[in-house]
Amino acid sequence: MIFEINEQDGGYVATVSGRLDTPAAVKAQQEIAPLLENADKQITLDCKDLEYISSSGLRLFLTIRKEASSKGGKVIIEHINDEIKKVFMMTGFFNLFDIR
Amino acid sequence: MIDYGLDLHGEMLLEEYCDKQPLFEELQRVVMEKLGALVRQSGIEVNSMESRIKAEGSLAGKLRLKGHKYASLLDITDIFGARIITFYNEDVDRIASMAEVLFEIDWDNSVDKRRMHQFDSFGYNSLHYICRLPEEQYYDPEKPELNKIRFELQMRTALQHVWSAIQHDIGYKSEIETPLEYHRNLSRLAGMLELADNEFSRIRNAIADYRRRAQSLVQSGQLEEVPLDLDTFRSYLDKRPFDRLNRKIAAITQAELHEAPWWPYLKVLRIIGMNTLGDVERLMRDNFDDAYQLALFQLGSTDIDILAETVGLQNLCIVHLLKTGGGRLSLDTINSKMPQNETLAEMVIEQASRLEFMNVKR
Repeated sequence: MIFEINEQDGGYVATVSGRLDTPAAVKAQQEIAPLLENADKQITLDCKDLEYISSSGLRLFLTIRKEASSKGGKVIIEHINDEIKKVFMMTGFFNLFDIR
Repeated sequence: MIDYGLDLHGEMLLEEYCDKQPLFEELQRVVMEKLGALVRQSGIEVNSMESRIKAEGSLAGKLRLKGHKYASLLDITDIFGARIITFYNEDVDRIASMAEVLFEIDWDNSVDKRRMHQFDSFGYNSLHYICRLPEEQYYDPEKPELNKIRFELQMRTALQHVWSAIQHDIGYKSEIETPLEYHRNLSRLAGMLELADNEFSRIRNAIADYRRRAQSLVQSGQLEEVPLDLDTFRSYLDKRPFDRLNRKIAAITQAELHEAPWWPYLKVLRIIGMNTLGDVERLMRDNFDDAYQLALFQLGSTDIDILAETVGLQNLCIVHLLKTGGGRLSLDTINSKMPQNETLAEMVIEQASRLEFMNVKR
């Protein structure tokens, strides 16, 4: 399981772990359904155990952000490693998320 | 029925009013629906739309005072009343002209209080139309009387409404009931609010003129004369000035460009000293190749096939900051101040240090 989701303080925290490559992102599409359903709340993506993100993984994050944005929710990304920060930066998506 | 101390005629009118309550409620529903649709269609932003059916006690009070004036209930024109409160004077007139098309106006009983004041007096300003719902707009064969009932439509600005509401709250009616000193103070306030209403309209018109002028300068390419602000930046983006750079960067990995908000970059552009759209054009012209080189260096060895549509502008800003000695500060400018900027800045500087533009002596 890539996304382990827990309800916390009225919002949702998803611990994202492993390698979010294309096959994993396809599988994870089902896993993020509860986040999309509750996108009107605060969603925290805790990425401390996320080792790698591919374009498909970025698309998954963007899907969650888009849903939150249309439902009035918020997405926070926490604890991403330096390599993944670089990916967010070079793609221009850094500004799109609240990265802490 | 409560005894309001009415004469027989008054009691008959009040009884008729009670019997016709469902009819007034129907009229209220239809009129408010029509007005709501009209306002939405016009695109006018209104402060509020409200309506009420006169309460029984209030009507009884009116009938006690001047019931003899009304031969039938249909002679009372304010049992149902609607009110539209706008932000600007001009919108009162626009809504009035639309109401004239929508309803049948009883001009003999309608009144424009705004024109009733002497040149040296100030007070209640509102436009009151006495209307009927014409059959072309709505007709229920089971309730033909609906089209005969007259109702009052009040239209005024928010400031006029505030004055009127406070005046009502104070219980002020005329100088006979209130000492002249208070009358004068309320008139002074009415004058001040009239001035404020005019000033708001003037400012709105001036802003609209400015936007039109700026848009036309942007369209004709006279960018040096256009100051950089939210409106002009929007007009500029309509011309899609960063498309060529974005497409070139996206071609590195055949990436798709994903929609992303541009507005954070307005702030960044201002911070890095771009004051006109001409400055932004120069930023692009002077840094186009280097922004592309930076992207090529970063993305060339990856298979990332999705990029934000702001990536070109982001790289232009980074390159400009690096060239002008912004260094580590550059990412504080672009990403807002956050702890990870330090790491990212090191990465960008390290990558850029190998690029030609960082090694050219200026």
